[in-house]
Amino acid sequence: MPAQQSADIVVIGAGIVGALAARRLAQQGASVLMLEAGPRLESARIVAAFRNSPLKGNWMAPYPPSPWAPHPIYVPRDNGYLKQAGPYPYPAEYIRAVGGTTWHWAAQAWRLVPNDVRIKSLYGVGVDWPLSYEELDPWYQEAEEILGVAGADNTGSPRQHPFPMAPVAEPWSMRRVRERLAPTYAVVANTVARNSRSYGGRPACVGNNSCQPICPVNAQYLGINAVEAAEAAGAKVVPNAVVYRIEHDAKGRIAAVRYYAPDKSEHRVTGTTFILAANGIESPKLLLLSASSKYPNGLANSSGAVGRHLMDHPSTSLTFYADEELWLGRGPQSPSSINTLRDGAFRAQHAPYRLDFTNISQVLNVTNDLIKEGVYGAEFEKQLRWRAARQINVKNVLEVLPNPDNRITLSTEKDAMGIPKPEAHYAIDDYTRRAAEVSKADFARIAALMGGTGLRYSAEGQFANNQHITGTLSMGSDPASSVVDAFGRTHDHENLFVCGTGVMPTAATMNSTLTAVALALRTAEHILPAKQAAAADGREAGRA
Amino acid sequence: MALDESDSVAADRTDDPADASRRRLLAGLLTAYTASLIPWALAQPAPHAERGAFTALSAILVGRQALDGAQATRLYDALAAGNARFPAEVQALLSLIGERHIDPRQLQGVLDGEHSPLAPLPRQIMSAWFLGVVGGGGDARCVAYETALNAVVVADVLKPPTYAYGAYGSWSAKPNA
Amino acid sequence: MSAPIRCLALLGLLLAASAQAADAADAALVQRGQYLATAGDCVACHTAPGGQPYAGGLTVPTPVGAIVSTNITPSTSAGIGRYTQQQFSDAVRKGIRADGAHLYPAMPYTSYAQVTDDDVRALYAYFMHGVAPVDRKPAPTRLPFPFNLRWSMAAWNALFLDDKPFTPEPGKGAAWNRGAYLVRGLAHCGTCHTPRNLLMAERPSRELAGGMVGSWLAPNITADAHSGIGGWSEQALVDYLRLGHARGKAQAAGPMAEAVEHSLQQLEPADLQAIATYLKTVPAQRHPADTRAVDSWGAAFDGIADQRGTALADDAGLWSGAQLYDAHCASCHQASGEGSFDGGLPSLFHNTATGRADTSNLVLVILDGIRWTDASGVRMPGFAQALSDHQVATLANYLTLRYGNPTARVTATQAANLRAGGAPSHLVALARLAMVVVAVLILAILVLWHRRRRRRASSGQA
Repeated sequence: MPAQQSADIVVIGAGIVGALAARRLAQQGASVLMLEAGPRLESARIVAAFRNSPLKGNWMAPYPPSPWAPHPIYVPRDNGYLKQAGPYPYPAEYIRAVGGTTWHWAAQAWRLVPNDVRIKSLYGVGVDWPLSYEELDPWYQEAEEILGVAGADNTGSPRQHPFPMAPVAEPWSMRRVRERLAPTYAVVANTVARNSRSYGGRPACVGNNSCQPICPVNAQYLGINAVEAAEAAGAKVVPNAVVYRIEHDAKGRIAAVRYYAPDKSEHRVTGTTFILAANGIESPKLLLLSASSKYPNGLANSSGAVGRHLMDHPSTSLTFYADEELWLGRGPQSPSSINTLRDGAFRAQHAPYRLDFTNISQVLNVTNDLIKEGVYGAEFEKQLRWRAARQINVKNVLEVLPNPDNRITLSTEKDAMGIPKPEAHYAIDDYTRRAAEVSKADFARIAALMGGTGLRYSAEGQFANNQHITGTLSMGSDPASSVVDAFGRTHDHENLFVCGTGVMPTAATMNSTLTAVALALRTAEHILPAKQAAAADGREAGRA
Repeated sequence: MALDESDSVAADRTDDPADASRRRLLAGLLTAYTASLIPWALAQPAPHAERGAFTALSAILVGRQALDGAQATRLYDALAAGNARFPAEVQALLSLIGERHIDPRQLQGVLDGEHSPLAPLPRQIMSAWFLGVVGGGGDARCVAYETALNAVVVADVLKPPTYAYGAYGSWSAKPNA
Repeated sequence: MSAPIRCLALLGLLLAASAQAADAADAALVQRGQYLATAGDCVACHTAPGGQPYAGGLTVPTPVGAIVSTNITPSTSAGIGRYTQQQFSDAVRKGIRADGAHLYPAMPYTSYAQVTDDDVRALYAYFMHGVAPVDRKPAPTRLPFPFNLRWSMAAWNALFLDDKPFTPEPGKGAAWNRGAYLVRGLAHCGTCHTPRNLLMAERPSRELAGGMVGSWLAPNITADAHSGIGGWSEQALVDYLRLGHARGKAQAAGPMAEAVEHSLQQLEPADLQAIATYLKTVPAQRHPADTRAVDSWGAAFDGIADQRGTALADDAGLWSGAQLYDAHCASCHQASGEGSFDGGLPSLFHNTATGRADTSNLVLVILDGIRWTDASGVRMPGFAQALSDHQVATLANYLTLRYGNPTARVTATQAANLRAGGAPSHLVALARLAMVVVAVLILAILVLWHRRRRRRASSGQA
């Protein structure tokens, strides 16, 4: 007989999205229990682990997977957790730990642009969302005030209220890029959850230039901040609780979830309402794992859409040397981008994209290049300085359309706990590839404006992945083609909700976290409406 | 002579670690390449010979006149621990460079062209000094970060990632302005 | 318009004009009073957290009961709206309320006694006309016997209150005199920085030689080159008072950060310069432990380099000082403790935080960080949650050994005591309260002893 626990609200997954939903519900007086498969991490240990790591270029290195809740690792070798069914590899990265994957992110906290939710109607591609940008706007605002978000006001996403703070100070490198690309391109400050002043009890950015893998001073909002806020509101977190099954009753309502502790002891948690917030791969995996005689294709899967429509943001890029010293690496990693190509009539023909500049220190890459080239003697140091001062990189962030064949399924292989591993089926279609081709002209123009030399385009047909796992639990009005409704409630189970990037029916062109948080706050409000005063209090708490 | 002093510092780890000036190792007045260093290094009595050879070879590959003695010891120990043949390979490569007067700029080309078994060695030593990484693949080990030369040579402009650049907004100014 | 009416209108205009002139003069007086109130940092104690300015209600829980600061807004029902200028003056400079009762010297009237008549007039004008009245009375302070014996303060005042306003010393120059006036008077620096005698009165002979504010050390700020600010330039002092830090010297933390934020940084440059001028002449007092300048210890030291490649223990309680430094501190203070290029993130050597023999402030800053209430907010995060007492001690000892005074040590017990020392923001009031409690206690004993003696003496005569 497994140990029993119970709560009004049971949240599976203690990442930024689940935790902020949990916080909001706990603030309304609900008892909330969060089950997290991974362990609790300490920021300081991550910092030390990074500095001691021989793999400084691999941001997953400071986050070793736990044996009981593995996550994908590819360097120095693939740990084989996320199986690849092809035809194109989908090497997604995420962190199974309390706080989730936003332990390391660039803190890019973008809104959609309004037309992103209507691409079927406007451009005849993809699907429309079951809600409008205007309906999302207040939830974006609430999310931005909790996270402490700021950015330029001309990125294509209208807003009713100002950001809670000013944009982060522009690094010198980005200033030069902005000045030299004007007026051909408008380079603007990214919308980021990074403090330009002390906010939320966290300090202003001091330019550690390690937003990924870890912001050592927590100037950047981290998932662990969401968890701590949820705990402060009364929610409880159980780490190392590997949920392996969701149980339903005869009427199809969710009755309980079962989890393993690391020693594989079994536990059962009952509740009134369940929120699945374990990310775009682990959440569909869990629904598929929970198949029963009543639901042989898995829970919430009468449409067959669970795990399908897997999307992300592939990127191609250009690296070159500018004709002046920029010294990337001073200030935050991802400060600036071009946002004028996120929408337009061209979306009928090819994917829209953002053009993103990096401000990551180039020293490591340049050193690796020089060692590879076999440069020795005084020339090495001279080249290192010259290149580190001038090397710059621009990448596109391309939209991928929902395709049912791109999907997460259960692998026949099992992990150490005996739970089937997830398997990715993925391809990049011509709609996206055409945009990559189009963006090459932008790359060339940008390089020319920067006096670029030594142009190195990413290899033909090769796309880098951006870990914005989207679409596998898509929301929609039609239960025959979608998993959840506009409020995140599964069409099949009245008391099971899904929060996370997986519910986004299209991927658009921006990092998906803020949209997932906004939708989760909306879901929480739908489950348990906030009292007026409490809602205002929530905003204050973000500032405190 | 500077070389004697440097070698003794490199070999002796019991020096007061706080004495920064003594930790500094002057590897001689190398420009890009000083052939006279090599016979000296190779003539050192054991066990100094192996470390001396590493120091000399490092100075040639890295192209620096001053190398940190404590760092040299750490890197040598780590490299030798991962490869029993390492000391012999270092001496062999140093002899090769000395005998044939190979310019560091041509070194990798020569080794690759001759399919020399010593071909991987320069890159291993460069990785150790410039990245602070010894070994490869799953056996790679970090033995230096902040003091790796790729951090040191840009230390007037950049802090290594995870180290704060400065007070909020200080990065908006022109570098080295 | 008829002539008489035009005349009346003209008269009205004239009257209005003269009233405007009077208003302008009053406005200037009120404005000056506001500035003086800032210099006196009245708001610090007379405002509850998140409350309206000067409405009082700052509650300090103490072992003898809650002390609550009073409403000093011009409310006639709840504040000091009915005070005459004389009553106001007596309260500020003599510690006597309008009803004749004595204030506890938690109110620093022994310093305010130095304030000139003119400045009291300006302060009165400000508190009557420049402060919004708040008709809400904070709960009264009710201390149990014998701490409620306010009359005992009369005896204390007779002993320790010099109620003559400041008179300039000829030959010292205007700046020095202005500085002396501010330091001894409104800025009440001595309240924290001057050590106290057994009866908790400031010891004039030890002016600014260092005192305690709750758990915090209010350091020696005499002109001594080792223990005090003798080695500081006047510019460094001005920087410190204006910015809360002086490069290569010190940072304001705890109660001093509050004093800089709420008061000192808002003073005019000439006044800060005057304070610096005066402080540089305060008679030097040296602590024997300070064998060199407390801001001159240490040098850049990299204790991390030889840790690389060493696996960290799973139990962070086993981490060395260098490893704790690496994980928690180096991100801002850098691997060798040198701080950032611009000094905005301070060096840990040449820093009084690590250079003083007394390590209380070092431990408190590690635990609580440095927080301002303004937009700069978290200037340094606190590590009370992240570090155990044992880790705090290990880390702090690494800091003093490598970057500071190597004889200065921290123990886990010390860290535990300081951690338990209560909320950092009310420490000024706590210190003042401790002073009151002890003074009242001793005076009560003295009075009882005196009465008994008199009784014995009179019975002897019978």
